[in-house]
Amino acid sequence: MALTIKSQLSSPGGILKFLIKYNTIFIFVLLVVFSAMISDVFFTSINLSNLLKQVSGIGIISIGMLIVILTGGIDLSVGSLVALLAVIFAILINIVVLPVAISLTIVIGFLLGSVSGYLVAYQKMAPFIATLALMTIARGLGFIYSKGSPITFKTPGGEFMADFANNSFLGIPNIAIIFILIVVIAQVLLHYNVFGRLIIAIGSNEEASRLSGIKVNKYKFLVYAISGALAATAAIIVASRTNLGSPNMGMAWELDAIAAVVIGGASLNGGKGSAINTLMGVLILGLIGNILNLLNVPSYPQQVVKGAIIVFAVLLQRFEDK
Amino acid sequence: MNNSESEYRLEMNGISKSFGIVSVLQDVNLKVKHGEIHALIGENGAGKSTLMKILSGVHQKDNGQVFLNGEEIAPKNTHEGQLLGISVVYQELSLVNDLSVAENIYLHKLGANKFWMNWKKITKDAGDLIKSLGFDINPAARVRDLSIVQKQVVEIAKALSEDTKILVLDEPTTVFDPTDTQKLFDNLLRLKKEGVSIIYISHHLEEIFKIADTVTVLKDGVDTGSKAVSETDTDEVIRMMIGRELKDLYPVRNVEISKEPIFSVENLTAKDTLVNNVSFSVRAGEVLGIAGLGGSGRTETAKLIFGADKKKSGTVTLGGEELNITCPAKAVKHSIGFVSEDRKEEGVFLPLSIGRNISITNFKPISNKFGFIFSEKEKANVIGLIDKLSIKTPSGKVVVKNLSGGNQQKVALAKWLSIDSKVIIIDEPTRGVDVGAKVEIYNLINEVAKKGVGVIVISSDMPEIMGISDRILVMHKGTIFGELPKEEFSEENILRYSIGKSLKSLMFH
Repeated sequence: MALTIKSQLSSPGGILKFLIKYNTIFIFVLLVVFSAMISDVFFTSINLSNLLKQVSGIGIISIGMLIVILTGGIDLSVGSLVALLAVIFAILINIVVLPVAISLTIVIGFLLGSVSGYLVAYQKMAPFIATLALMTIARGLGFIYSKGSPITFKTPGGEFMADFANNSFLGIPNIAIIFILIVVIAQVLLHYNVFGRLIIAIGSNEEASRLSGIKVNKYKFLVYAISGALAATAAIIVASRTNLGSPNMGMAWELDAIAAVVIGGASLNGGKGSAINTLMGVLILGLIGNILNLLNVPSYPQQVVKGAIIVFAVLLQRFEDK
Repeated sequence: MNNSESEYRLEMNGISKSFGIVSVLQDVNLKVKHGEIHALIGENGAGKSTLMKILSGVHQKDNGQVFLNGEEIAPKNTHEGQLLGISVVYQELSLVNDLSVAENIYLHKLGANKFWMNWKKITKDAGDLIKSLGFDINPAARVRDLSIVQKQVVEIAKALSEDTKILVLDEPTTVFDPTDTQKLFDNLLRLKKEGVSIIYISHHLEEIFKIADTVTVLKDGVDTGSKAVSETDTDEVIRMMIGRELKDLYPVRNVEISKEPIFSVENLTAKDTLVNNVSFSVRAGEVLGIAGLGGSGRTETAKLIFGADKKKSGTVTLGGEELNITCPAKAVKHSIGFVSEDRKEEGVFLPLSIGRNISITNFKPISNKFGFIFSEKEKANVIGLIDKLSIKTPSGKVVVKNLSGGNQQKVALAKWLSIDSKVIIIDEPTRGVDVGAKVEIYNLINEVAKKGVGVIVISSDMPEIMGISDRILVMHKGTIFGELPKEEFSEENILRYSIGKSLKSLMFH
């Protein structure tokens, strides 16, 4: 018995199978080990804490992206929504009390996401097109409301948020805690709740879902609205980190979010993916940026490496499917 | 081998074809003369389409020989078939929706040898061709915007756009009204005069007796003979199409059927499909069969009742209460189940586990009010249904894609047993299912009926529908054409109603 296990693991095929099955985690661990070896700075708490802070914003919108992609859709508007909502939050925080500013921003995010949701679910518009339109609109509105320049926090509420966003609890940055919390909630909803069951079912076969009595439109609408609300949460976090809301925030974040979800093993056709794996995808993308920064690689070659890693990750998953 | 020697333009001799272990054609012969309209008939699944696909090069025969003008041919794909002058108008339309009518008609020639397209000429030629057929369609229109009738015309024009020697038409008049049908017939007779050989597949026997010269009948992949149309009649042809014995496949059901109907529909008419004025009722414990030819509106009726298609008028009543079903979710809420004929596309979730497939219709008993699923309760429910339906699997976690057709069908049924359905509509309960699983599915239908459910079964399999139904409705052109009580069950009676004919009067019996 022990012999067979040993021989299985020692045979190259066995190891390869294992690595392919857990490829996301494998790539992640590999990157951590590699980073620790080539840089003394990597395993310092300052660096790790910075890394977590950097990925939290994109991480939160990646979770929204994941649930949209699970239904077989895509949400290109999230990056622009972060910019618009950061501007809105900065305006609000200067005129109303903090709890109102936070809740209003999230509600507005939900409503903006609902626009895509309505177009996709009830007007049968292709998700790519509907969210592409919202992407342009949101970016434009961000510039209009901010008159093109960043809006700084001027109230005690703003100070509180800046403190919160740059402090840690038990060594973990507060904003990373929020990100992890969202991942955990998403994981629980996707795995142990009817909501997750239904959106995965819709993504794997929409017509069969409809003919099983699922209100497909309602759920398709909902995932975009939730994605919008998560974009608002990300906007509040990134604005608070820098103490301002700028229409230039979240530039091309939708692409990083898609990359993170795909590296995390989700299928763009829908029906396959998990929140934990998306977290891994986010961390892998963040790690690549981090280590290349530590190695003083300029930003253009960084983009090339990022692209190559995405291709590698997706090719590995193709083996897994077989 | 010699042109002058061959009396026939086309000879298909001893053709056999199997897909996997399923034998579709066995030793089939078909001989078509020059300038002849040759009808090819048989029940659904008799092998007509497969035979034509071998002729045109879509499929390759396993055995046998095909001669065209005395020379042996074996087209490896449709392009080779076309070069030989064989054009086929298939039942399922094969047009490109986003191209224009003209582009579709000349699709096979686009880019053949020229770098530049002469759009003006192509459009004009297409327009002339359609006009010569007696129809009026704008050749520049996009096919997407055409009606189904116009699409069928374009399909026919496309087949005639080349130098056709053998024209195969597979159920071309399904969507036509009598005037269009007459126009088509005029064209066929003209082509016949020009020496084109036409193979005409149809369920409508009256059409065949109107235009065909010869008729060849297929039954279960075997040809039961060819006759000159002038020397035969409807009765003989129907006898050639049927006449097999009922096997002992159908378990006996001892169920008390209620007097009052549990479910009824009144004057149901669809908004977008051919279904019109459908009225019937089903009683608790009854198995009601709906027969009819492909395209007669059976599946559309089921989808209309289930809320998957839009309703124009009519009422649906369940247990005395009139229902307003506007979407499948509402049908499910009222405990109406529907098993689709298209298992892979509409019935099951192939990439998901058996458990996830079964639970999808009803989370109430296995989750709390916040939607959190009690995995133990779910597992118990899933295992219970796997046992009950004897789904062959090591566990409920197995992905449905990896199951056999029969077991997939049981999963599709299982999800309607996890809600307590009052009415279940099962469209083609055993399509693509092996015999063993068939019997299990019939047993299951009996068991469901015993619980007082009204079961509606749609089937193209004649022995099946006669074997399991208490009563059979036959659909023709979107409405219920006739009803057969058990005493009058026969393939001939079903077939007669299916083609819109009344039963033979009793004095001939």
